[in-house]
Amino acid sequence: MYFEISKKGNPLFSKIHPLLAGMLQTVAVDPWERFPDGSSRLLPSPGDDEELCADWEDIVQPELRRHFDLERSVVAEDLTRLKSGKGKNPGWSLEIESTHGNAWLTTLNAHRLALVDEYSITEQELAEKSEPDFSNERGLALMQVNFFAFVQECLIRAQDEDDGGQLGESDDAEGH
Amino acid sequence: MTWLADHPMNDPRLLESTETEQENAFDHPWLVVVHNDPVNLMSYVAMIFRRVFGWNRERAERHMLEVHTKGRSVVWSGAREQGELYVQQLHGHLLLATLVRSPR
Repeated sequence: MYFEISKKGNPLFSKIHPLLAGMLQTVAVDPWERFPDGSSRLLPSPGDDEELCADWEDIVQPELRRHFDLERSVVAEDLTRLKSGKGKNPGWSLEIESTHGNAWLTTLNAHRLALVDEYSITEQELAEKSEPDFSNERGLALMQVNFFAFVQECLIRAQDEDDGGQLGESDDAEGH
Repeated sequence: MTWLADHPMNDPRLLESTETEQENAFDHPWLVVVHNDPVNLMSYVAMIFRRVFGWNRERAERHMLEVHTKGRSVVWSGAREQGELYVQQLHGHLLLATLVRSPR
């Protein structure tokens, strides 16, 4: 798989292996439906304060859930433009609007977090760079986590270039 | 957090000023704390810190490294309402963040 910035200034992935293209398409699925156990990580507790936790559950978490759904719908729309190559250009390609980068980062992150929880993938397994094991569902899950991390890294680099390294250069908004 | 490559900011000396910031933060009643998790990429966490708090790259990476090496970092202190907004934003980017009352 190749990654570059297109002539339009958008992140462009090309020569994507069909297996990876299939994995990418899974992020359009609602993680709450796909990972009934793992999705609890997506709405963590804000702390120990009872009043705060109650407010969070009633007001903030439904808002966050809507936010995640909205971001995922942007990604799902982009994925309809995933194209299969022919002849001398085998593999799949996907150009992502540069303004959709945040939606992709959030959606990929949600799926990575939920996958890790759902399959109880350990920190050691995440750190190991061993050959992927396709023989079982858990091995495929770990491969998805690592593949989505690679896509995230590409998108972060693309956004860094867009920002020209100027993002948040001021310290004016520091905490007290 | 996940290491994808050796990081040039991996220097314990960079954490010294962060500890001073934590001490100053105790003058205020509520703290926003970001906790380590093994999944979020280090580059992602630093980028979110820059976005949410408007920090420069060095400051964002210092706090990100503190989360990674010490398990948590106090990233803000002040009034409860503003802290809630920050935690909500951090949760919106899927970071593990909590709002806690300052011990003094």
